[in-house]
Amino acid sequence: MRYESLSCHREERVMIIKLHNNGTCYADPAQVANELNEICGTIYPDPEIQVVIISLDQAEPPTDMDLGQTVLSLDPGSDNPLSWAVPVSKLEIPVIMSINGYALGQALELALACDIRFASFASTFGLPHIHNDMIPWDGGIQRLSRLIGKSNAMEMILTGQTINGEEALRMGMINQLIDDKELLPKIMKMAQKMAQKGPVALKYTKEVVQKGLELTLDQGLSLEADLYFLLHTSSDRTEGIKAFQEKRKARFKGQ
Amino acid sequence: MSAFETLIYEKKDHIAYVTINRPKAMNAYNIQMRDDLYQILSAIKDDPDVYVVVFKGAGEKAFCAGADLSEFLTAPSPVAARKIRWQRDVWGLFLSIPQPIIAALHGYVLGSGIEIALCCDIRIASKNAKFGLPEVALGMIPAAGGTQTLPRTVGKSKALEMLLTDEWIDGDEAFRIGLVNHVVSDDKLYDYATTMAKKIASHNPVALKIAKQAVVRGMDVRLTEGLYLEKGLATHLSTINKQQPKT
Repeated sequence: MRYESLSCHREERVMIIKLHNNGTCYADPAQVANELNEICGTIYPDPEIQVVIISLDQAEPPTDMDLGQTVLSLDPGSDNPLSWAVPVSKLEIPVIMSINGYALGQALELALACDIRFASFASTFGLPHIHNDMIPWDGGIQRLSRLIGKSNAMEMILTGQTINGEEALRMGMINQLIDDKELLPKIMKMAQKMAQKGPVALKYTKEVVQKGLELTLDQGLSLEADLYFLLHTSSDRTEGIKAFQEKRKARFKGQ
Repeated sequence: MSAFETLIYEKKDHIAYVTINRPKAMNAYNIQMRDDLYQILSAIKDDPDVYVVVFKGAGEKAFCAGADLSEFLTAPSPVAARKIRWQRDVWGLFLSIPQPIIAALHGYVLGSGIEIALCCDIRIASKNAKFGLPEVALGMIPAAGGTQTLPRTVGKSKALEMLLTDEWIDGDEAFRIGLVNHVVSDDKLYDYATTMAKKIASHNPVALKIAKQAVVRGMDVRLTEGLYLEKGLATHLSTINKQQPKT
């Protein structure tokens, strides 16, 4: 498939997806949704990809934002075909979001569906739906309030006001602020380092953290132990421990 | 009064001090320590004379640098290992201790070390502390509750960053993300922890246990159930207080 709203390439075991824009607006939301769905569908079964980076580079504030009036016709029981967050949230491997510039509306909702978020100092964040008599619909309300707490989330959603990088960092919406020229190189370095770790361990870690937060602590601890012992059957764990004992680099096979 | 190979247990003025004591091995957690810890925690849980607990590490290098990997790959089978894990559920016991627990953290606080710290209620770190979870680098995941306790302490995003990257953070960064309550200079660590323990121990021990219980259990249920629990526990406490007037 040829992608138009995004481009992607691999650097070793890391896949980078760059979202395109037209200067003043994000690409056509339906097309982005379609293409993200497609690319995530190819990443999911690919054993060679260990980490995904999604890069948003939006220097100008979007002037023509489709805040999703079309979703009103959605069947609440089915997956939203316009969603950017759903296909990304289904990936088992770590997903890092790189934000340079404006992450507003659905773009921020996409970022919230990733595991780790980094942004440049000049970035701006917001869920402006209320200005159009709408509410966020791509997981933004649920994920934002869980991430930065009820009070901060309420303020952003009810006022529709944007916040800057410093505020986003303080609230815990993003993990780190990085100089814009250094942003992607630094994230790539981290992703490459991550891709050297045990591939099954990375996936299980993500799974047990995400599922665990939906469980009681006791249930979460049980899940952790079960996945830990399941890993006892993997050759990667044996390799990881032997490599440490023999003071050499581990060679993981992802099994 | 200590008869343990890997831990020192002391008690003074209603404060229990548990010192992880394998300084030559950077206080690495091993099977012997699991058994010692199980015994000590069981004793603390049932001791009405202990109002508050302080955990610390012996030596200058580490609070606890992780699990002792020389003992790994020795388990007979995953099935047997899982059975042993639940036979003596030391982490479940740790998280069920009714008294407040303070961790005084210095040097390496890695793997099992950070997980022990996360089983405590209040964490104080020295500036030189280094926190990290290196499990994924070894092809495994944490197994002392870290995947559950860390996100509940610092949030999903920061937790995943630490768990997935194996990048270590220092005391100041740990304070910024809410992993520790206070960060102090290296030489002030034990004074700070002891002062706080004394302050806590000056309060009604039953009220302390009930306050801890209300927070810990309340975090695990929906708000309406948490409010109900809080009301019930407060009523219970005031009944006890009426029966035993302040001396």
